[in-house]
Amino acid sequence: MQQMNTVIGAIENCRFCLMCRHVAPVGHITHNESVTPHGIALVAAMQRRGQLTWDTSTLSVLYAEPDGGNCRAHCVTDQPLPAAIAAIRAEVADKGLAPPEVVRAHDRIVENHSVFGSYEPANEQGEWGLFVGDAGFNLSRETMHAALQLLEACGLDVVPVGCGLDSGFIPCSLGYPKTARAQASLCIEEVQRTSIKKLLVLSPQDLFAFRQMYRERLDITWPEEIVIIDLVDFLAGQVPNFKMIPLAGTADNATAYVDPTHAVRLPGRFDAARTLCEVALGYTPLELFWRQDRAHPVGSTAIQFTRPDIGVRLTEARLEDAVNRGAQSIVCDDPATLHELRLRNKSNLRVQGLYETLLARLARHS
Amino acid sequence: MEWTGLQPEMVRSELSEIVGDAHVSTDDADRLVYATDWFWLPQMWLDRGETPRKPDYIVRPKNAEEISAILQVANAYRIPVIPWGGGSGSQGGALPVFGGIILDTKRMNRIIEIDEKSLTVTAEAGINGKQLEWAVNEKGLMLPHYPASANCATLGGYLAPRGTGTISTKYGKAEDLVLRMQVVLPDGHILRTPIVPQHAAGPDFYRLFLGSEGTFGVITEATMQLDYLPDCRLLRAVLFDDLTNAIEAGRQIMTRRLDPFVIRLYDPRSTASRVKKILGYELEGAYMVLGFDGDKEIAALQEEKAMDIINGFGARDLGREPGEAWWNHRYDFYYPPQSLKLPWMYGTTETVTTYDKIEKLYFAEKKAVEEGFKEWDIDFIGHFSHWFHWGVMVYTRFIIRNPPDDAKEAVRLHNRVWNTAMTAVLENGGMVNEHHGVGLKLSRFMRRQYGDAWPLLERIKKTLDPNGIMNPGKVGFGH
Repeated sequence: MQQMNTVIGAIENCRFCLMCRHVAPVGHITHNESVTPHGIALVAAMQRRGQLTWDTSTLSVLYAEPDGGNCRAHCVTDQPLPAAIAAIRAEVADKGLAPPEVVRAHDRIVENHSVFGSYEPANEQGEWGLFVGDAGFNLSRETMHAALQLLEACGLDVVPVGCGLDSGFIPCSLGYPKTARAQASLCIEEVQRTSIKKLLVLSPQDLFAFRQMYRERLDITWPEEIVIIDLVDFLAGQVPNFKMIPLAGTADNATAYVDPTHAVRLPGRFDAARTLCEVALGYTPLELFWRQDRAHPVGSTAIQFTRPDIGVRLTEARLEDAVNRGAQSIVCDDPATLHELRLRNKSNLRVQGLYETLLARLARHS
Repeated sequence: MEWTGLQPEMVRSELSEIVGDAHVSTDDADRLVYATDWFWLPQMWLDRGETPRKPDYIVRPKNAEEISAILQVANAYRIPVIPWGGGSGSQGGALPVFGGIILDTKRMNRIIEIDEKSLTVTAEAGINGKQLEWAVNEKGLMLPHYPASANCATLGGYLAPRGTGTISTKYGKAEDLVLRMQVVLPDGHILRTPIVPQHAAGPDFYRLFLGSEGTFGVITEATMQLDYLPDCRLLRAVLFDDLTNAIEAGRQIMTRRLDPFVIRLYDPRSTASRVKKILGYELEGAYMVLGFDGDKEIAALQEEKAMDIINGFGARDLGREPGEAWWNHRYDFYYPPQSLKLPWMYGTTETVTTYDKIEKLYFAEKKAVEEGFKEWDIDFIGHFSHWFHWGVMVYTRFIIRNPPDDAKEAVRLHNRVWNTAMTAVLENGGMVNEHHGVGLKLSRFMRRQYGDAWPLLERIKKTLDPNGIMNPGKVGFGH
């Protein structure tokens, strides 16, 4: 009931509100009013009033929302529209109306606990853990390895957990909250089973899930005794202890930092990520137009399953932003964002992992 | 009334040939979303479970040439064409009241040039206002047009209804900032206005397109005047016991050319309701925010002189914090549920006139609306926010918190309130609008507004758009 009140409240408030249009990524790349937050909320509101039914046309609007958080991050009255849309998708899925691609993605999670590959439960024990997640394990494993080596260089003995495990974000966003709860329980169980008390999180998507989504959308409380730490924040705090290999030759000063998908939901990490970039690159990175609190997501959210056409365009638009700013390479910390950028990159732009770049310059940890 | 059969498919096919099939939509969801802009009436209509007239096509051209070709198709088939920017207009200016083609300009969002010497930006008309501002900010510049709709409106939408922004008192209305435009005429002819607006090489015809709201053509590109981002913005708030004194203080600040970038004066009712709700200050009287910007020393001196005037009227200086709070939260008034929202009935009957008439007009309109709709417990609030050397705009609003549930009854009540308010405005020397435009909402008042001059505008319309395809039903044409 509470969830449904949230849904109704958000769509009623957002259906005629245009105040987040300037940061709405899908509206920006499609130029289509219908797939802006206002358009999606209006279609949902009219469906509830019986003026529209869920059919190919209306479902293509409902599934166009990327769940990247931009609308809410810029909403003065904090309307939880992405959560409302996820709840409406759940109603649609319950009626058996979800698009086949969505159903297939959900089935993979039910079967493997992973949408991208396989899940390998952790067996080690330790105080510190690194939640690797699905994308970090199955799509961009070099990022995971670099992160673990950096942590080792910091003198930490870290247990990798959640290797290949979806945190619940994707099924929740697709409209399957029961599956999302099951995934969430699995995440918490694994962390507790491994005795971890300090959990570093590799992916902003999983960080958002643990810190906010579980509570707001799934009614799950994260265990108080386990502290969640953004890996970027942690490593930025370690910078004074890093000793770097001097750069060979002159830096090209042409690398841009891509704030990853969901970055707008975690504003505290903007500065930390840039601190790491400066250390890794030897200079202040170029800033993209779509940066920090207005950073647009790439197609690494559930949009890759709900509207893959839009997902591809979102990623292409980030790459175009970098090219337009004169970047020769881009750097990012998030495995899922990196994977998307690499997959869609058709230019000469180099796509670098931030942790990999940092590791390559690290001489030793003092 | 749905348009079906062979002919609509012919049109769709021709439109697709021009812009590509991906940029033409006849999709149900799209047609419903584009059936309403920010006008209360169609929103209420939808809210009550009714469906307003939907467009037949939504078309997204990428340049003026494509628009030209679209207009030629529309002329051939005699189909209405409604230019669409951000859809944030409150007057129904973008409503497809006779169906037809919605011409969504948002694909045309390129910045063509930022000239840092002349301080101008040339951009396509579909660019989002805030995104344009971010781009010029990166050069240390600003487009000094800060309307509440900046997050959603487009550059073309700034110009077509002659919009005004929060800092217009110093920097002017959108129309004062435009140097040059590219326009596609209703017959498809593409023209550029002269390179600068101030000259003596013939009549000022480019202004015809400002305020025409797409009835004379489609603005596709504009060169706008920029300014340097100010070194400082000095804001403070003062409280007057009495609205009359506050207006007079504002007049003196303006006529002595002290150059404030903002004077925002809330009437006592607005001070007690909106200022309290959004900013949290419980005050009795007329709340005024005053701002000076630019060079620090000059701004400080201007502020000092303005405060001398204000002190002469016995106003209470509330200090910087309440002024800065207003500046930082000035758009918060427009986010639901803080904004006025359905199922309430509301409307902004903003108007402008000279200083000698403004106070009389405000009280006449207030009395007419409050007394005329007492049984509906109508609330009438206002603020004076765009000041000129010769007069001021008053942003008056009415609110009925328990309007009729029945949609048709609600329409009738809504229009009666507007008739009452606009009659008071016209009888007291005001303009039916200062910056939201005319649209559908005020169309029926245009003949009265212009009197003997109206036939000239009609003749111009007939000459430019003989088939009447451009945004029919708006700006008085057809009434």
